Amino acid sequence: MSAELKVEHLRKVFSVGRPAIDDVSFRATAGEIVVLLGPSGCGKTTTLRCVAGLETPTSGEIAIGREAVSVPARGVLVPPRLRNIGMVFQSYAVWPHMTVRQNVTYPLRQRRVPRAEAGRKVDEVLALVGLSEYAERPVVSLSGGQMQRVALARSLVYQPQLLLLDEPLSNLDAKLRLRLRDDLRRIIKQTGVTALYVTHDQSEAVVLGDRIGVMRDGKLLQIAPPNEIYNRPADMFVANFTGASNALPGRLLARNGEFGTVETGGGNRLTAWLPPGVAAGSEVNVALRPENIRLGVQAAAEPNHFTARVTGQRYQGTQTIYELATLGGRLEALELGTNVRYPVGSDVEILLPPELCWAYSAQEAAPME
Amino acid sequence: MAADSTALGADIEPLTGSYEASQRSARLRAAGRWLWSAGLLVILGFLVVYPVSMLLLGALTNTNPVVDGFATFNLSLENFVTVLANPNVHLALINSLIACGGGTALAVVIGLGFSWIVVRTNTPCKGFIAAVSLVPLFVPPLVAAVAWSILASPKSGLLNTLLAGLGIDWRFDVYSMPGMIVIFGVYYAPYVYMFTASALRNMDPALEEAAEISGATALSTLLTVTFPLIAPAIISGMLLSFIVMLGIYGIPAVLGTPGDIPVLTTYIFKLTAWSPPLYSTAAAVAVILMTVTGFLVWLQHRVVSARSYITVAGKAFRPAVMNLGRWRYFTLGLAIVYLVIVVVLPTLALIVAAFRKFLFIRTMASLFDARQYSLIHFERLFDNPLALRSIVNTIEVGLITAVIGGILSFAIGYTIHRTRLSGRKSIDVISTLPVAIPGLVIGVAYLWAWIGLPGGLYGTIWILALAFVARFMPDTIKALSTSLLQIHRELEEAAWICGTRMLGTIRMIVLPLARPGVIAAMTLLFVLAIRELGSSLFLYTSETMVMAVLLLDYYEGGNVGITAAFSLVQTILLGVLIGFAHVLSRGGTDTGVGKAG
Ligand SMILES: Nc1ncnc2c1ncn2[C@@H]1O[C@H](COP(=O)(O)OP(=O)(O)O)[C@@H](O)[C@H]1O
Ligand SMILES: [Mg+2]
Repeated sequence: MSAELKVEHLRKVFSVGRPAIDDVSFRATAGEIVVLLGPSGCGKTTTLRCVAGLETPTSGEIAIGREAVSVPARGVLVPPRLRNIGMVFQSYAVWPHMTVRQNVTYPLRQRRVPRAEAGRKVDEVLALVGLSEYAERPVVSLSGGQMQRVALARSLVYQPQLLLLDEPLSNLDAKLRLRLRDDLRRIIKQTGVTALYVTHDQSEAVVLGDRIGVMRDGKLLQIAPPNEIYNRPADMFVANFTGASNALPGRLLARNGEFGTVETGGGNRLTAWLPPGVAAGSEVNVALRPENIRLGVQAAAEPNHFTARVTGQRYQGTQTIYELATLGGRLEALELGTNVRYPVGSDVEILLPPELCWAYSAQEAAPME
Repeated sequence: MAADSTALGADIEPLTGSYEASQRSARLRAAGRWLWSAGLLVILGFLVVYPVSMLLLGALTNTNPVVDGFATFNLSLENFVTVLANPNVHLALINSLIACGGGTALAVVIGLGFSWIVVRTNTPCKGFIAAVSLVPLFVPPLVAAVAWSILASPKSGLLNTLLAGLGIDWRFDVYSMPGMIVIFGVYYAPYVYMFTASALRNMDPALEEAAEISGATALSTLLTVTFPLIAPAIISGMLLSFIVMLGIYGIPAVLGTPGDIPVLTTYIFKLTAWSPPLYSTAAAVAVILMTVTGFLVWLQHRVVSARSYITVAGKAFRPAVMNLGRWRYFTLGLAIVYLVIVVVLPTLALIVAAFRKFLFIRTMASLFDARQYSLIHFERLFDNPLALRSIVNTIEVGLITAVIGGILSFAIGYTIHRTRLSGRKSIDVISTLPVAIPGLVIGVAYLWAWIGLPGGLYGTIWILALAFVARFMPDTIKALSTSLLQIHRELEEAAWICGTRMLGTIRMIVLPLARPGVIAAMTLLFVLAIRELGSSLFLYTSETMVMAVLLLDYYEGGNVGITAAFSLVQTILLGVLIGFAHVLSRGGTDTGVGKAG
């Protein structure tokens, strides 16, 4: 029922501007949830629409299951209605002139499923998304979250082999978004369908995805399980986009396997993880998440142990963000807890775990945002 | 009234002076507000309620109480029943329904077609096509009809001469029901276009894509999703174009009269041209026309205000554009053909007829023979003192209408939308009433209301101007309301709180901000007044002759050359005005120009 999705060297160039998608390749195995994450305009929607068949790729190849559905070089372009996929749109796209049941039954009607069987399937899927009591309501009387559940039910009712979701939560308010986010993963996993999910929200991506692909300017930068994206970002952009907001400039003195020694401002030496291809002697930027800086650790023997001056603090109730001056630059560190431990002006011992300091070549484009 | 005097402004009185003094000024201001509402209601009563009541009365008697005195006043349904049973009325009604029904059907095909081409296909030059789709709104219906009678009258039409020259036996006949239907459909398609194009533009393309993904074919998507979603827009446009066609006089007068196809409007006029004029019968038929129109307006209002599905405010969609391949040159071709039909051919026909000594064209060669052309028709046109007088009169009427109508509409629009004065609901209702009254019916009503009053309005320029003000009031108020609503309420309230009184606020804040809208509305009124024919027909005298009426006179007198020359004069005058209006309003009030047909 659920099928593998294969995207190879996909390119899409619109009549104007740079390519919207530039040589994107990835796979989603049957039953897997792959999330495409990236800032607005990076080509996520275009990728998804190419997979759906709503957009014609310029070149490349898309296959769902065993069937090649878009191969422009061979003139293959299977229309969306024959791809047996489901799609959930950012704007819900539920049909306002129909009731909930009519909306969800629609795909079965198009497939000429017998009435009794259709009724049973609709009831099942409405129960799955938690809308059983609303079946006979006109959709326009529902809230945004409920409409999105209708859209989900409508795209699941015919058991498609692939489910596509384009920022399905971005039009909802924050609280609802959290609820539906958890529900979404449960429902998708329950049906076992392969899913391609697009979002610009990293926290959504982490919760939902079996694997996350980070995109920028039409390129797929890295695709990996969430903990790898968070602990071994492939480049400065991925690190930055997923929340590593600190960047310390420095120079790589020596490389030692996966790690290396970086000289930062003030002549301090820092041990950091190195992605492949960063050569000794080159200028680097060390990226570091605020959560990974450990404060007040009395362990002078450990590597990357420094002293920092607290120059500012932002108290947020359950956590505090400290602004630190150290290593010839500025760092932001985050500590959980309702207690503010370090007053402004005091000195604090900090520990920067080497495997969580990532040194990227400074030649790379500056981090965005 | 005085009890709720704090509703407006009383609380911003400076806290100086004694308690009594402030009490007194509050009472004075309450009285002022009451006078304002009452004043507007009196003006509306005079402009709208009185004439319409007289018309209704007229339909129920066979005397006019104002003319014949109340002694002979005899109220009965008899007159009305007689009219209802009259087979001539049936014929006119049926002809009206067929012509307008057919015209509407064609308008829907054309309007929907062009909105699809413009919004949903990759046809080249879409901006041009969008403009072309609206062009007929700027063509005066009377001029269009005259031009098409020159082109396609069965005996001497230029197109028929051409066909004969080519040895083709088939002939156009615009003096027929199908001819009228085609002209109606072609010139009123923009009403459907305006509604459906914006509905298509505002529809989230994901709604259709979701259907496609659900397994629906393109046709099935069209039938189950697209059409149901834009149905309110289609129906609105349909009803509106039907309403306008039903009330129009120029086209059926020019095209229907030679072929003896009476419709309601031409029949009403014929009744008053009888000797002696059958005014009460005309009033009764006018009431029938008004009732049908009123019902349709109500229906359209229902459709528009029923929950529109397509309301995602402030969201811009990128419409799904269909790649037509080579067919996109075909769709561009359709637009060009349309432009040729509505503008190019009629203009050429008018030019040829106006400058040619004799319209009879024996051969194609003679069409290009310079000796056949002269200014003789223009000379003869302006030899007639009536022509010049009609131009002066028309401009005078236009100016009076624009100024009075503009000011009154602003006062009413402001009162309705921006105050909480008591009586504003009634003001709103009465000022929208003329929407449901065709121009011709307003003419009959004004005639009926003022003809007998000695020393009164009848026979002056003013009765024309006042009738126009009443007739176009709903359009003007609507055009103004948009610009009034754009002024943020807070801006006004800030001024109030700063202690500026209401009138001061209007003068210092609202007027400057609304001025572009007011000027545009006045220009619009000027343009509408210049082309208005239906209501003028009953209200002019030889002293107050206006262009549209004289043009029809020339046409009916059979002098094609002078008619064409005069049409050109009117068209150029209008063109200059519309260009001026466009510059002033940057196209913001386009839609109003055609509303009054
Ligand atoms: N139909 C289109 N025509 C032209 N450019 C487009 C079209 N759709 C998307 N683009 C461009 O392609 C790029 C990627 O867009 P999109 O895939 O929507 O980004 P995302 O979904 O990641 O925000 C953007 O620069 C956008 O402007
Ligand atoms: Mg997007």
